[in-house]
Formats: sequence, structure tokens, C-alpha cells
Amino acid sequence: MNRKLIAMVVTGAMIASMAPTFTAHADDTRTVAMICDSSISDGGWGMACYNAMIDAAEKTGWETMYSDSIAQSAYYDTIVSYCDLDVDMIYAPGNQYTDAVLQAAEEYPDIAFALLNGGADTPEKAVNGNVSSLLPNATQIGWIAGALAGLMSESGTIAFIGGMELDTTLAKYAGYGEAAAFVAEENGKTISVLDPVYSGDFSASDKGLEFAKAMMDQGADVFFGDASAVDSGARQAIDEANEANGAIKVYDIAQPADLLGQNDCVIGSQVTDNSVLIELSMKAVEEGTFGGETLYGTLQNGVLSAGELNKDVVPEDVQAKYAEYIQQMVDGTFMGGAAETEAE
Amino acid sequence: MGSFMANLILASVRMASPLIFLSLAELYSQRAGLVNIGIEGIAAIGSLTGFLISLITGNPFLGVLAGALAGIAVNMIFAYATISLCAEQIVYGMAINIFAPALAAFIYRVYFGSGSELVQAGLMGTLKSMLGIKSNNFLVNLFLDQTPMVYLAYILIILTAIYFTRTKSGLNYKAVGEYPKAAATLGINVIGIKYLSCVICGALAGIGGAYLTTCYSKTYVDGNVAGRGFIALAAVIFGRWSSAGVLIACLFFGFCDALQIRLQLVNNTLPYQFFQMIPYVATIVVLALIGAKKAGPKSSGQPYRKEER
Repeated sequence: MNRKLIAMVVTGAMIASMAPTFTAHADDTRTVAMICDSSISDGGWGMACYNAMIDAAEKTGWETMYSDSIAQSAYYDTIVSYCDLDVDMIYAPGNQYTDAVLQAAEEYPDIAFALLNGGADTPEKAVNGNVSSLLPNATQIGWIAGALAGLMSESGTIAFIGGMELDTTLAKYAGYGEAAAFVAEENGKTISVLDPVYSGDFSASDKGLEFAKAMMDQGADVFFGDASAVDSGARQAIDEANEANGAIKVYDIAQPADLLGQNDCVIGSQVTDNSVLIELSMKAVEEGTFGGETLYGTLQNGVLSAGELNKDVVPEDVQAKYAEYIQQMVDGTFMGGAAETEAE
Repeated sequence: MGSFMANLILASVRMASPLIFLSLAELYSQRAGLVNIGIEGIAAIGSLTGFLISLITGNPFLGVLAGALAGIAVNMIFAYATISLCAEQIVYGMAINIFAPALAAFIYRVYFGSGSELVQAGLMGTLKSMLGIKSNNFLVNLFLDQTPMVYLAYILIILTAIYFTRTKSGLNYKAVGEYPKAAATLGINVIGIKYLSCVICGALAGIGGAYLTTCYSKTYVDGNVAGRGFIALAAVIFGRWSSAGVLIACLFFGFCDALQIRLQLVNNTLPYQFFQMIPYVATIVVLALIGAKKAGPKSSGQPYRKEER
């Protein structure tokens, strides 16, 4: 009997430790809940998206909740758990949550669903009109990194590491390649981009390390990624290679926060300030106008920008040229302006 | 040797090393009749503890030691429940797999705060760097550009083989996993050996997890064990419950994983998911081929009740 009792107590304690903890909130305070399949402390995507929510919540006075490192099979259940807690808005930072968001949005018509990197046509698929896409321009993101890669690559081979083959990831890859090729050609060089590789998840930093080693073997000397913690593994491998060579000759361009200084190989960052889009969504909820629209984040409205450059590694003339290209992107004249329509 | 093959072999060894520790952990557990599917969870707590202690002390060796101790501590839950309370081993193994990574994530969050930047700790040096060798020769990289933990893994393989086949203590240990009641009649302390197996299993699984953050990757990320604990289960079956077999299995799985990474790079026609399937398809194929004849301990997974007839 005693043993059974102890077994039950141990099991109960373990189950209790697994249960998510939710913070109660006052009735008059609005609440946003974020779900994320990567860690919010990953030094990349998860961290940037979480901090964007916190920044927006501080400005609007909202309370926040989050669940991170959740499995793909738990997307829907986690969203629904928050819906049952009567939160005002679900914030899902990633295209991969689209199906789960649309399903939950149909069942919870009074809750707002903000889907970061959702498709432009996703809001119209929501039968209750309670879904909005927050859509940083993926092509422009690729351009910001690609222009720097085109200027800095000496081997003529650049690389891209993805987490999953999402539409936004493919658009970033395409923008990265075309901007690098354009900039390189203007500066008398030729650039080729290795085919994109995918780790299959956003936590496998060891895979990033192995990918980077294999891609450096193929001559890649500038890296850009869209894979959260996987990118940090790649940076580790690049740092090790640079250390072995005694000089920083292989570079990484970080995203979506300014990560200059995190690793020696980081020469610049593509920065996305998602807090602007989240804040707009929160205000729309407060005003009762939320849903059915796509809020774009671009270089023009300040959501996208280029982070600081590593002045010890990037030569002054390259810094100046890069600033010019960024200005062209803002002005809509980059690549002769022909690509602006495509980016939109 | 072509650089593709040379780099593939080096990557295979890198990727096999943590698997060796985890597979040996499972081997010691199963040899005492305990099927512990909680290796994944124990490795997760070992990974975090190794990372934290390495970061705080600046000494990766202390990180590995702490990972081992944390692994033992977590595995004592499994030990008490399955040995003393005769609870279902699979259920408790699964509970550990859910509980331990959640605990690791919780501790990380409490220590570093939410939304913190990625923290990086120093890695253990390789023998090549310790000896100041600059050569980039393939054989030098294969045999010398490895951390002391890699050598420890291979030494443990040899010691385990000797222990289970050449020592009386090892044969007693195996007897507990084969037929514990008969072992008890010979005066072998069945309960004691089962608890010992859990200590060894916890320590090795914790070391396997700590390897990831003290020898492989500078960062700790939730989920960084990435299914290796389950691959270790397959490696023990693939390896026919012998340390030499486990080594071959781990090298095979490491090779498959390294291969899929490189094939993604050289191919531009097939979808990448096809290559990511390789390690798992290989596991299924090998287990289907190997599993026809069972060679595992006879009392594996069964509770031992001293007073039961």
C-alpha cells in the first residue's frame, strides 16, 4: 500500500512539474500569448520574436504569456490551451503555424490571431476574419544580407542554411542570391550560391555546425541563415575555421536581431523590428478593427533594417558601398528598381 | 583520400561520439534487466548541467562530472520506481523523457532569464590543440583532433567488453539481467546490481548529454539531444547487446547522419526531406534485419520481486 502511495505521489509530482504555468491576469488587462517551436533564449529567431512581443506589450500595457520549444504536434493544442484561458490575442511567429492558427481561429472567433510570416492570403482563409498576417518582406531581408555577401565574398561562393523549407525561407534565399549576384557583378565579381540546406528543426545547433563545415569544404566564405539556433552552430564552426587559419576570412550575416559581437565571424546583421507590427495588432484589437488584413514590414516603414557592421573586418569602402545599396533598397531603386515590384 | 570521404569520416566520428556514451548507458541498464527509455531525458539534464558548470567554472571537465552526477540523480527516480516499487519500466522511462527536458528548460530559464541572448561556454580542447600540432593531415585529424572524452568513449567500449566477458563480476551482472531468481540463489545481490546499473546508466547518459555542450557545441538549446537517446536504444539492439556491436551501430548511425548532411549539398533535384530520412530508414532496415533473432537479456523489462515464486 505504502509503495503504491509513494508511486502515486512521485508520478503526481512529475506530472505537476510538466504542466505549463499560466499567470492569472486582471479582467481589465489585455493579454497576448506567444507560441514558439524554438527556444526564446536561442539568440536568434525565438529570442527576437519574444523580445518584440515584450517591447510591444510594454508600450501598450498588455500582459504576456508564452510557450516555447513546443513540438509540431503540439502547435494546435498549445494555442487552444491559451484560447481556453481567454487571452485576447495569440501571437504565432512563423509560417509553420498557419494550419494550427486557422483551425483554432475557426473555433475561437472572439480571439485575435496574429501570424508573423503568415502568407499574404492567409487572413482571407480565416472564416471568422480574426486572423492577420504580419509579414516582414522576406525578399528584402534576403537583399540586405545578399548585398553584404556579394561585397565581402572573395571565394565567389556563398551559403544559406534553413531550418525548414518555408515560403518565407525560400523567398529569403532567393533575395539573398539575387542581391549577392547583382552587387558582385557591379563590383567586377561573380557569385554563386550553394543550394540551400535544411536542418529540419530550429534547435539542432550541431547540425548547423556540420552544415557549415561541409559548406566551407565547398568553398563558401559568407553564410546567412534562417534557422535560429542552427545558425549559432554554423557560427561556431566558422569561428573555429577562422581560428585555425589565423584570420577572419569566412563571415556570417546574422538575423533577425543585431548580433554583432556575439561571434567573431559576424560581420553584420539583418534586423527585423517585429514589435512595430505586434503593437499595431494590439491597437487594432483594442479598437475592435483587428483581422482580415496583412501588415507588411519593409525597409520603407522601418520594420526592416541593416544592423551595425563589424568595422574591424568590413573595409571602409565596402561599408560605404553597402550603405549606398541599403539606401537604394529604401528608395526602391535597388537593381534598377525592377525588383521592387517582385519584393512587394 | 578525397576530401569528401575524409570529411565524411571525420564527421561520422564526431557525430557518433555522444551516441557511444548514451548507448553504453542503455547497455548497462539492459544487461541488468532494466529497459530504460528515459536516456533522452537524462541526457537533456546532463547537457544543461554540463553547460552550466562549464560556464560557471570555466572547466569543461567539471561540467562533464556534474553532468554525470545530474544523470545519476535523475535516474534514481527511475531506479526507485522500477526496482523498489516494481513499477512499469517503459512508463517511467517515458515520464523521465518528459520531466527531465522540462526541468532543464526551467532551470535554464530561471538562471538566464527569458529572451536572453545566446550564452556560449568554452569547449574542451582537442589532443591536437593541446600538443600544439598544426598539421591538417587526415590521419592526424582523425586520431588527434578529438577531445579526451572521445578517447574515453572508446576506452569504455573496450573495458565494457572485458567486464562482461572476462570478469566474474561482469558475469554476475549479466546473470541478473538473464535470470535474476537463479542469480539470487547463487548469493548475487540482485537489487544491489540493479541499482548499480542505474548509477552507471545515469552517469553515462549524463556524460553523453554533457558531451554535447562541453565538447561539441558551445551553446545549450532546449532539445539539443535531438533524439539521440532513442537512437541509442536502437544501437543497443543493433549491436546485439555487446559493446563491440554498440560501437559499430553508433559509427553506422553517425555515418548516416553525416552522409545526409553532405548529400543535401551535392544534390539539387531530390527534396531535402529524402536525405533527412536516411538515418531513420537505415535504423528501421537494420532493426528489421537484426531483430529476427533476439539476443537480449531474458528478463529485460520485467520487474524483479524477491518474494515472488
